[in-house]
Amino acid sequence: MALQVQLRHQIRAGPRLDVTFRVDDECVVLFGASGAGKTTILRLIAGLVRPDEGLVCLSEKVLCETSKHFHETTRKRRIGFIYQDDLLFPHLDVAGNVRFGLACWGRTEAEHRLAETAALCHVDHLLSRSIEGLSGGERQRVGLARALAPRPRLLLCDEPVSALDVSGRDVLLQMLASVRKTERVPMIYVTHAPAEAVTVGDRLLLLDDGRIVEEGRPLDVLARIGPRGGLADLRNVHEAQVAAHEVGATRLQVPGGPELIVPRCGAAVGARVVVTIRADDVLLAKSGTAPLGLSARNVIPGVVERIVAHEEEAEVVVATGSVRWVVSVVSPALAALCLHPGSPCTMIFKARGCHLLPRD
Amino acid sequence: MTLELSSPLLLSLRVAFFATLLIVVFGLPICLLLARVRFPGRDLLGALLALPLVLPPTVLGFALLAVFGRRGPVGSLLEGAFGVAIVFHESGAVLAAAVAAFPLFFLPARSALAGVDQRLEDAARLLGRGEWSVLRHVTLPLAWKGLMAGTLLAFTRALGDFGATLMLAGNIPGRTQTAPLALYDAVNAGDPARAWRISAWLVSIALVVAWFGQRGLERRTH
Repeated sequence: MALQVQLRHQIRAGPRLDVTFRVDDECVVLFGASGAGKTTILRLIAGLVRPDEGLVCLSEKVLCETSKHFHETTRKRRIGFIYQDDLLFPHLDVAGNVRFGLACWGRTEAEHRLAETAALCHVDHLLSRSIEGLSGGERQRVGLARALAPRPRLLLCDEPVSALDVSGRDVLLQMLASVRKTERVPMIYVTHAPAEAVTVGDRLLLLDDGRIVEEGRPLDVLARIGPRGGLADLRNVHEAQVAAHEVGATRLQVPGGPELIVPRCGAAVGARVVVTIRADDVLLAKSGTAPLGLSARNVIPGVVERIVAHEEEAEVVVATGSVRWVVSVVSPALAALCLHPGSPCTMIFKARGCHLLPRD
Repeated sequence: MTLELSSPLLLSLRVAFFATLLIVVFGLPICLLLARVRFPGRDLLGALLALPLVLPPTVLGFALLAVFGRRGPVGSLLEGAFGVAIVFHESGAVLAAAVAAFPLFFLPARSALAGVDQRLEDAARLLGRGEWSVLRHVTLPLAWKGLMAGTLLAFTRALGDFGATLMLAGNIPGRTQTAPLALYDAVNAGDPARAWRISAWLVSIALVVAWFGQRGLERRTH
């Protein structure tokens, strides 16, 4: 067992945390809306905040046991941390940042490790650069290399891709997944974005008001909870299989659901992938009213299952076979369409609106 | 430069140097404490330390005389225990200049230290660094501009102190007569040429210090 956590802690102006979980050699996603206490859990594990009550053990070594008034200092915990806004040291260059955690290492060993982690995180060509002028993705990769360099026993990631664009996100997420396996370091990943949870997570803990209310495979938990109000970056996340490749496009089969056309990908026919489509990117038409000759390549019939209205906006849940979709529509448009549960409808979205994430 | 002119100028430079050293050595821990730790009376202590900036220099000098004079609580102790005299000594000039110039270091330095993102210090701790290493490799380099500006301001202020120095160290030529006191004497004695020469030297020194400071800050920025 890598990490064992039992924590009770009152967050100032927030919920009371009461969580118990363990992390083996895996990536556990802490998932939940803003203010649920996700980041505080990471800070408690890292020793940056002392819990009111609790026990934290890492690799069978006690890091914190409040009943014995024991609290290991942060610097001795050997925990790597990647932040939402990278927190690189602005007065050091890239090499200085990555080398920062290697102060106790021998010179040769440290230089070897620096080169190794820089190559692993694809920042070896940036080592002599200053931090200023790096792109958001480069900064996060430097942050990852810095965290990994001293060989941490646990890696904590606090929404590390939330400030990146979509392509930067995908690159870093894939890098995190591969680095975790290469370095064999257990990881806790905090997010409120379903696509990130599915890409990096082996297991998902759903946090609500300071408590873990659901646990399981990310796709299973996300399917169980459905589209939830208050979750930013609402996306449809579906597991799919590559059915065929054609010129400039790939056909995917969603099990129990429709066939999708997405931009051509390198995955082999038969490979499992995860496809994400933003709820905002899906157009909705009344059945039979979708115009012919659309440029969008995905025109999928379905049935409105339920409608959840939040003030100006509404989320329409559409069923296609056994697969549920969430479509974001503004309330006036919904009224104009006269949709209600049971109405047949058509979902329309571009192939380019589909983003693929490798699953295996 | 004549001996008559060089003596007060060299004394002023020596006094300003040691006063600045005192300010940095004692001021840095105090600034760190006030910037990082919350405790009852923190704001009051901050206000007290900034007080010399707004007090009339003669009042400040009189207060120092009351504390460090031969009959004062600290002065009598220092003289009795260590044989150290403050009043009418160069050490008195250093002390007066240090106290008068302290707020000019304290205010920018405290603000610069408080402005360092504490999450960067946490990031350093997570990378295995102890508190001393965090201070040396993260906090001080990031607060460098404010610390340097404060040090230069304190040095130039100490160089030009008049009122507090006069009250505590007196105006003894060759012993405690700093350049501003010599300038005052020159004006009183109707010797404007000497007064101009001293002023020119003081302005030149201040300009050189400001130029070095500017260069240092720019180099650090780029």
